[in-house]
Amino acid sequence: MPQPTATRIVDVPLVELTIDDCPVLVPAGTTIFDAARSLNVRIPTLCHQQNENPVGVCRMCVVDIGQRVYAASCIRPVEAGMKVKTCTDEVKSVRRTLLELLLADHPSPCARQESTGDCEVERLGAEAGIVSSRFPPRPTPRGRDESSAAIAVDFEACILCDRCIRGCSEVRHNFVLARRGKGYQAGISFDDNLPMGESSCVSCGECMVSCPTGALTNRKVISTELGEGAPLSVQELRSLDVFSEVSGTFLSLNSNAVQKRFYKPGEIVCREGDYGSTAFYIVSGKADVFLSGPMGHVTTKAKSHGLLRKLKAAISPRAQNRRDEEGEEAHDRPFIPIDAPVDLPYANPIAELEAGDLFGEMTCMNQYPRSATVRAQTDCVMLEMLRNVLDVLQRNKTFRARLEQNYRKRALESQLRSIPIFSSLTPDFIEHLRDKVELRRYNAGQIICKQGEAAHSFFLVRIGFVKVSQAHPGGDLVLGYIGRGGFFGELSLLGEGIRTASCVAMDHVEAVQIRATEFQEMIERFPEIGRQLREAARQRIDENRKRVKMVQNVPVDSFLSQGLLEAQSLLILDLERCTRCDQCVRACADAHDGVSRLIRDGLRWDKYLVATSCRHCKDPLCMVGCPVGSIRRRNSLEIVIEDWCIGCGLCANNCPYGNINMHPFDVRVEDLVNPGKKIAEVRTKATACNLCLDQEEPSCVYACPHDAAHRVNPREFFAEQVRTGKAPVAIDSPARSGGR
Amino acid sequence: MFDELRAIQREFGFLPAEELHRLSLKLKLPVSQIHAVASFYPTFNLAAPAKLDVRVCSDMTCHLRGADELRCAIERAFQGAPENEISVRTASCLGRCDTAPAVFVNDTIYSGLRAEQVTEMLRGASAGRPLPPVPRDHSKPVLATDPYAGRSDYRGVRRLLETKDFLGTIATLKASGLRGLGGAGFPTGTKWEIVRNAPGSTKYIVCNADESEPGTVKDRFIMEHIPHLVIEGMILAGLVTGARKGILYIRHEYEEPKEILQEEINRCYRIGALGSSIFGHSSGFDLSIFTSPGGYVCGEESALLEAIEGKRSEPRNKPPFPGNQGLWGMPTAINNVETFTVATAILVHGLEWYKAQGLNGLPGLKFVAVSGDVERPGIFEVPMGISYDDLIYKHAGGIRAGGKLLGFAPSGPSSGYLPAEMTKLPLDFNAVAAAGSMVGSGAIVVCAEGRCMLDMALNSVRFFRNESCGKCVPCRLGSQKLVTLLTQWTKGKAAPGDRQTIEDLFQAMRMSSICGLGQIIHAPIASVLKHFPSQVEAHTQRQQCPAGVCFQA
Repeated sequence: MPQPTATRIVDVPLVELTIDDCPVLVPAGTTIFDAARSLNVRIPTLCHQQNENPVGVCRMCVVDIGQRVYAASCIRPVEAGMKVKTCTDEVKSVRRTLLELLLADHPSPCARQESTGDCEVERLGAEAGIVSSRFPPRPTPRGRDESSAAIAVDFEACILCDRCIRGCSEVRHNFVLARRGKGYQAGISFDDNLPMGESSCVSCGECMVSCPTGALTNRKVISTELGEGAPLSVQELRSLDVFSEVSGTFLSLNSNAVQKRFYKPGEIVCREGDYGSTAFYIVSGKADVFLSGPMGHVTTKAKSHGLLRKLKAAISPRAQNRRDEEGEEAHDRPFIPIDAPVDLPYANPIAELEAGDLFGEMTCMNQYPRSATVRAQTDCVMLEMLRNVLDVLQRNKTFRARLEQNYRKRALESQLRSIPIFSSLTPDFIEHLRDKVELRRYNAGQIICKQGEAAHSFFLVRIGFVKVSQAHPGGDLVLGYIGRGGFFGELSLLGEGIRTASCVAMDHVEAVQIRATEFQEMIERFPEIGRQLREAARQRIDENRKRVKMVQNVPVDSFLSQGLLEAQSLLILDLERCTRCDQCVRACADAHDGVSRLIRDGLRWDKYLVATSCRHCKDPLCMVGCPVGSIRRRNSLEIVIEDWCIGCGLCANNCPYGNINMHPFDVRVEDLVNPGKKIAEVRTKATACNLCLDQEEPSCVYACPHDAAHRVNPREFFAEQVRTGKAPVAIDSPARSGGR
Repeated sequence: MFDELRAIQREFGFLPAEELHRLSLKLKLPVSQIHAVASFYPTFNLAAPAKLDVRVCSDMTCHLRGADELRCAIERAFQGAPENEISVRTASCLGRCDTAPAVFVNDTIYSGLRAEQVTEMLRGASAGRPLPPVPRDHSKPVLATDPYAGRSDYRGVRRLLETKDFLGTIATLKASGLRGLGGAGFPTGTKWEIVRNAPGSTKYIVCNADESEPGTVKDRFIMEHIPHLVIEGMILAGLVTGARKGILYIRHEYEEPKEILQEEINRCYRIGALGSSIFGHSSGFDLSIFTSPGGYVCGEESALLEAIEGKRSEPRNKPPFPGNQGLWGMPTAINNVETFTVATAILVHGLEWYKAQGLNGLPGLKFVAVSGDVERPGIFEVPMGISYDDLIYKHAGGIRAGGKLLGFAPSGPSSGYLPAEMTKLPLDFNAVAAAGSMVGSGAIVVCAEGRCMLDMALNSVRFFRNESCGKCVPCRLGSQKLVTLLTQWTKGKAAPGDRQTIEDLFQAMRMSSICGLGQIIHAPIASVLKHFPSQVEAHTQRQQCPAGVCFQA
C-alpha cells in the first residue's frame, strides 16, 4: 500500500500580513480588499464590483501600506509581511476629498437616489458627513440620453467607474459600452458614441444593474411577472437583509419577479416532481421538507404458477436491489440529496427548514423538477423568486458567504457522510473542514478541471450536474454525470496529482471545493479512507484499461459510435429467425403491469437487431437533471434507479432511446392535506429493463417462440463475431451471461 | 490599429463612422473599442476638420515666448472666416521649446516664427499656396558622450558578443550608479537584471522617446545627433536581458529624429548590428520604430505599453511592473532615450571615464535643455554637478533682454518652480531632491522678473489637466477643480477656506492617483505657494497682479 507521503499535491502558498494590526493568512494572489473582508473589515469602494475584474479607478478603496503612495486595495495583491492600515485619519481624509470631487459634479439627488434611494456616491458621501462639496461644479453640462426604451442614461451622474463597461463586456460579452474621450472630457459611450437606442445594445440591463449611481436607470416599461402574491416595494425588499446590497434599480425593474408569500401551518409550498422555475427564501417560520412517495423499486413478482403466468409489479425495498459485486455499504447512502440546504436521512426522509434558508435553487437555476415536498410547519413568510433575482443575489459575495456558511453548517456533514468512504470521518474533523471549504460557481460548459492538469482540489457537487469524461483514442468516454450529493477529484489527489478525467459543468453548477491541503490532512488522519479511495482508484483504472483494450481489439466503428460496446448487456433479436410476432413485447408488457419496457426496433448489425432496452450508455443523458440523484452509476458503468425515485419523469424524457418508462402503481400515502391520514394514490416511478432479475429468465426471451431473442454480453458476443469473421454463432450461453 | 486609423485619416481627413465600422469587421474588434481608442488621442479627428487646422502650443516655454499673442494674432487675422476654412486651437507641448513658440498647421510644426510670419504663411495657405517646408538643422556638434565621433562601428555590441559577459555588464552599470534619466530614476543595472532574471523566453526592450513634458527636448537632440548610441544601448539591453525584439516608441511630432533613427537602423541591418545573427553570432535582435498616437501620458511607461498594444493609453495599476509583466504581459525593459545613450557611453568608454566626467565627485554628463526667458535657449551636454547659475548664465547666455531672474523650473512643470537664489544648487539628483524639487529630465525653464508665478503655476496645472488620461478619479476631477480654483485666484476671487481645500486636494491627488502624472499635478502650485507666497497673496487678498499679467479681462 503506498504511503500518503508519496502523494504529490499542488497547492497555492499562503501569505501572512496584518490588516489594521490584525494578522491574517490568505492564499497568495488575494487582493488586500478580499483579505480585509475575510476579517470583516469593510473598505469603501465605488468601482469595485465583486463579479467583475477589479480596475482600481475610483481610488476610494485606497489603504496605507507604508509606501510612498497609497495602494488601491481592490486590485493590489497582498504581500508577505504587509502592514495594511485601512482607516487612518489620513486615508479617511483622502477618501473624503475624493467623494467631494465626485459629489461636486453629481446631480444630487440623482435618478437612482430619487427612485430607490441607493446611489452609492450619495450614500458614501452621507456616511462621511459631507453636506456640500467644497469644489466648484462642472462648468459644462454632459447631458442625457433618452433614446433607449428600457434604460435611461444621465451622463451627469456618471462617475466613470467602468462597472457598466465591464458588465457589458466581461459579464455579458456584448461590448457595446466603452469609454470615450480623454481626461475630464472622458465619458461612457455606446458603440461609436451613438445614442443608446440606436446602438447595438440589446437592453440586457447588465449596465443598469452594475451602475452605482443614477447614470443608468430603469425606465419602468418592462416588468417580469410572477403570479399573484403580496407585491413588494423596493424599500421593503431592501430592508430585508438578503436584498440590502442588491441594486435598487434592478429590484424596481424586477419587482414582480419576487413575491412575498404567506403559508399557514400544513400548507404545501411545493411538491416533489412538480416543474417550476422559482426558488424560495424563508423570511420567517419553519417548514418540513420530505419525500412523500414510498421508498422502493418497482419489481415483478409471479402471482400464480401454471401455464399462464401472471406477473405483478410491486414495490420492494432497496435490499432486494443489491447486486452481487457491491459491498454492503456501496449503495446504502444514508442521505438523499435534495434541492435545499439540508439532505434527507434515508431512514426517515424528512428535515426541517428555517428562516434564512434558500431552497429550490436547482429548479430555479436549471429548471429541474422539485426534488422534495415542502410543507409549512408554522406560519411562514417566504420570498419566491425567479432566476434573474436569484442570479443577482448570488453575484453578491456577502449573500454568497451566507449561503456558504449555511451550507457548511447544515449540509457539509450529511454530504460527506452520504459518501460511504467518508463515513468514518469524526465530527471534530468535519468541524475542522467547515471553515476551510469554499463554494464555487460554474456556468454551463465551463471546465472545472481538465484531464492531465495538476490537481489541487476535491469537489462536492451542491447544485447542477458535472460531466466527467476521459479522453481516449476514438473520442471522449463519459464516465458519468455527477449531481447534487456527488463528488469528484479524489483520484487525482491520491495518485500522481494529475487529473485523470475532465469535469465540465453541464448547467449552472455550484461545487464545494476542498483544497488539497485539507484533503491530504484527512487522508493522513483517517488512513482507512485513503485505503478505500486507493482501492476504488485501482478498480477504476483497471476497468478503464480493460475498456480501452476492448476498443483496440474490436474495430467495429459503428458499434463504437453507438456505444454498444459500452453496454453491459444487450437484448438482440436474430432477424433470420424472428417472425415479427411481437410476443416478446407482449410478454414484457404482461410482466410489467401492461407497460412494455421493450420496443422491437433499433440498431441493426449483420443479421441482428439490437432492441431498444437500456444500454447503460457511454453518455448517460438520463442522469442529467435527476432532482434527487436517484438515477446514477454506482461503482460500475451500469445505470441503476435508486428506490427514492420521486417519479418526476425527467430521466424518461432525457433518454434518447426511449429506454426508460414511467411505471404507474397504486399506493397508500400520507394525505398531505390531512396529516396523519393515509389515502390511495397513483404514483409513478421510473423503470428500465432490469432483465427480470427476479425471474429465471427475461420474460421476452422466455416468451419468444422462435428462439430469436437473446440477452448477450456484447463484449464477448461481438468479439466472437469479429474473430470468426462475422460467422453466425450459436448463442447458447445462458441469457444471464450479460447481466453479470 | 493606429496604422489603420492613420490610413483612414490620410484618405478622408478624419475618421468617418462607416470606416470605423468597416475597420471593426476587419480587425474583429467591437466598434466601441475602436471608438474608445480613436477618441482618446487628439491626433484623430472624429469629424471633418477645417481646411486649415491650426494648433498653437500654449505650454510653459511657448507661454513665456509669446504663444498667447501668436494665437490672438492668428484669430484676429482670420476674424469672420467660415468655420470650415480655419480652426485655431491650443495644443499641448510640441517639443520645440528651444525655438518657441511652436504652431502646428495641418500636420506640420513650425517654430521660431514671429506672429506676422505665421499669419502671412496661413493667408497664403488659405489662398491655395502650399505650406513651406520646415528648415532643418544640419549642425554636427562634437559630443563627449559619443565615443565614435559620429559614425559607430558598434564596438560595444561586438565586445559583449565576444566576451558574453552579461553579468559583468550589469555589474558595470550598477557600479556606475546610472539611474533612469526620464524622470523616475530607477537604477538601470537593476532594471536590466530584473528582466534578465524574469522567467520566459519572450522579452522586450522598449525605448521611451515620447518626451512630451514642456521644456523637455533633450531626447530629440540626442536622437538627431547620436542615434547610434540609442540603438546600441537597446541592442546591449537586448543581449543582456535575452530580449530579441526592441521597440523605439517615438512621439509623432518628431518626424526628423524618426527619419534619422530609421536611417541608422537600416544601416545597422546592413552592417549586421541588427538582425537574426548579430555580427555572425548566434544572438539576434530586431528593432522597429513605433510612432506614438500622441499625448503626454503616453510617456508613463505602462501607458506607453498600452498604446503599443493598440489601446487607450491609460497607465496600469502597479505592481506588476513592466520588468515582470510589460508589453503583451512579457518581461520588458523600458528606458528613456538618454538612459540607453549613457549606458552605451559607459560600456564603450569605460566606467572610469564615466566617473571622471562630473564635477565635485559626481559621475557622468547630462543633456539639459534651457528654455524660456534666456538669450540662447538650447540643449547642452554638461557635467553633472554644474550649478544652475552656470547653466542659465554661461550656457544659455543669461536672462533675455538684460532682465533679471525671478525663478526657474529645474524639470518642467513636474519639478515645480524654484526662486532665483536657488540657482546656486548643483545639477545633482540628491541635492535638488533635498531642496524639494528634482533634476528630472533636465528641462530647465527660466522665468524673468515681470512674470506672474501664479499665472505660470496655472499654466502648468492646465497642461496636466489637458493631458490627464481620465482613468482615475483624483487626477481626472482633481486637475480640473484645481484649474478652476486657480483661475478664480488669478481673478482675485478666493474663498477663505481655499488654502485648506487645496491642501486636501494635493494630498488626495498625491497619495491616491494611479500614476506619476496625477501624483505630481500639485507641484507647480505647491512650489509657488511655498517660494512666491507674496505674489499669490497679492492676487487673493488685494486683487492685484504684481506682474500685470492677470486681471486683463
